[in-house]
Amino acid sequence: MTPGSLGSRLVLLVLVISAATAGAQEASPPDILISRQLAAERGLVVGSIVQLAADAAGTGARTFRIAGIYEPTPDPARLGAVPREVRLHLPDLLDVTRPPGQQPGTEYIANINIALVDRADATAFSRDVNARMPGLIARPSSEAAGAAGPFRVLERFHLAIAVVTIVAATVFLLALTIMLVDERRETVGILRLIGLPVRRVLVQVLLEGVIVAGAGAAFGLVLALLSEGLINAFFQWRYDTALVFVRITRDVALTSAAIAIPLGASATVLASWALLRRSGLRLARR
Amino acid sequence: MNALAFAWRSLVRQPARATLGVLGVAAVGALLFDMLLLSQGLIVSMRDLLARSGWDIRVSAGDLPGRGGRVSAATSTAERIAALPSVKAALMVRVANAQIERSGGGPPIGDAPSIGGGPPIAAVFEGIGGRSRHREPIAPPWTVVRGREARGDTEVVIDSAIAAAANLQVGGTITLRASCVSDREALPPARLTVVGIAEFPFAGTNEDAIGGSLDALKAACGGNVGDEADLLLVTSVGEPAETAAAIRAEIPHLNALTNDQVVGRLQQTGFTYFRQISAVLTTITVSFAVLLIAVLLTVSVNQRLGEIAALRALGFSRWRVVTDVLSESALIVGSGGILSLPLGLLLASGLDRILKEMPGIPADLHFFVFERDALFTHIGLLVATAVIAALYPMRIVSSLPIAATLRDEVIG
Repeated sequence: MTPGSLGSRLVLLVLVISAATAGAQEASPPDILISRQLAAERGLVVGSIVQLAADAAGTGARTFRIAGIYEPTPDPARLGAVPREVRLHLPDLLDVTRPPGQQPGTEYIANINIALVDRADATAFSRDVNARMPGLIARPSSEAAGAAGPFRVLERFHLAIAVVTIVAATVFLLALTIMLVDERRETVGILRLIGLPVRRVLVQVLLEGVIVAGAGAAFGLVLALLSEGLINAFFQWRYDTALVFVRITRDVALTSAAIAIPLGASATVLASWALLRRSGLRLARR
Repeated sequence: MNALAFAWRSLVRQPARATLGVLGVAAVGALLFDMLLLSQGLIVSMRDLLARSGWDIRVSAGDLPGRGGRVSAATSTAERIAALPSVKAALMVRVANAQIERSGGGPPIGDAPSIGGGPPIAAVFEGIGGRSRHREPIAPPWTVVRGREARGDTEVVIDSAIAAAANLQVGGTITLRASCVSDREALPPARLTVVGIAEFPFAGTNEDAIGGSLDALKAACGGNVGDEADLLLVTSVGEPAETAAAIRAEIPHLNALTNDQVVGRLQQTGFTYFRQISAVLTTITVSFAVLLIAVLLTVSVNQRLGEIAALRALGFSRWRVVTDVLSESALIVGSGGILSLPLGLLLASGLDRILKEMPGIPADLHFFVFERDALFTHIGLLVATAVIAALYPMRIVSSLPIAATLRDEVIG
């Protein structure tokens, strides 16, 4: 594959800036883009002339003009690392990095990103490339992260923590509902004595449980929505990134409600059940 | 009867709620304990892993070993470093991705068994070459557990996972294709003899590893290897920090970091996420525990107002009933706290397994590491939880009007 066929494709690279601002050594130096963090760190602005080389000694350095400063695409895998990045046209990059003696056009490139007319064709297209071009591996972007990507792992870690939290909350909830139901034993006893069947009282308890659990879930969601911005702002400041750390999506909200409401209602019914098995007289007795 | 015994009887009288309270604290405490282990676990584990490797200094082209390109002119660089008075030995390490073929593997060499059929095994090939001042033997960054060390350009050692997956023994041969320049290279396969089974402490959990000399790596890469190293490992004879400074002075464009400095850099970058998440979850967990225990105690006290007023009327002092409530809180939190330790260790082992599935995490590195300081912090936080959670119910019982409460309870 020749670099010419990749023409204006941009490739992400980090190179050593051998001189922060050099004099114009070429009549019209090629344009590059640099990351916001690199610009801030080295005091570079749009229009600055810099020299880039593939090694710290400045071997084969070439002059470029900064045409723009960009915000790097947030990369969770590089969280905590300051993205000192330079983007340049592929032929310029190959000119800078080509080892002495290597013929132009014989270099390697790491990846080619392809935009399809129809995204749904990604799997079929990858299959075709793999079949027709031995030595190349084509994969749909959705599969590129792999099953054990760091964020899939973090997702499982957070899920495990959520499960432990739910277990702890359930145990506490049961303890609380047992106490609250016990507090109402006289009322329940009187209801039983005036003729309300166990089932009727249980339905009332269940409805109360649903209402309380629903209110609790709603309060929790409002709290989560309010803290979402705070948590994102803190971590974005801490890591100097545009990465979003917490996002309360519709699915997350629905999942939370789907766990919290049945759990709360079930805990209420479970705690009441032991009480309701006793006779009305026993319950109403002081 | 002292306050603790009295509180114990109060709890035993309501076994369901007491048990659930203790179990709740145990679950929350386990999570809290794990977050404390996580906060420093990676750092402690990495420090231990680096110390065990036997190399004092890591020299690389980037900010951190393994990041930011390779060291060029590696052989002469290693020689210059080895020539420094405070350096005992320098080891060049070059890493390449390799595919071990399992499609029959061709006829065995001599009497050696060869690999059976199956999909290729992806592995990392570590090629090493050392320089020492007095030609002393240099230890590789792996430990041979069976067989012997690899020598020359046709011998390698493999990890036990490859040996098991490919049904290989010492003396067997492997056919592999290594990619020293790009993963997309289509190079001819190389046949190498397995002379040992080794443990690679820095290989990832899901990563199989092969070790050999730089010459063996060059052979596997079809000779397509420049004089470059991903990393130079250095052993010093004196103070590592001074030796690292001497290396930086000798070769200014390279980064020479002692093990402590590597850990410090990782603390500032790669590991910071886990410290942050640990801090956030510790705060949430403690708040959760305080809130719930406070509610449990408050409801419990409110249900026993008449009883407490009667005790006061019988002569129990204000301080005594307050101590009873505090003791009750201490018993719930204390029992739950004790249970939380084994539960936390069990949970930590599960969470550690999950996190170690991350690509590139060395198998010997742990996210959750037991430390005495973490245990003391855990105990301190639980004591604070017991006290803070009891404050409001203690206030209720201390300001309880005896006569009015008794009247309300009897008439009501």
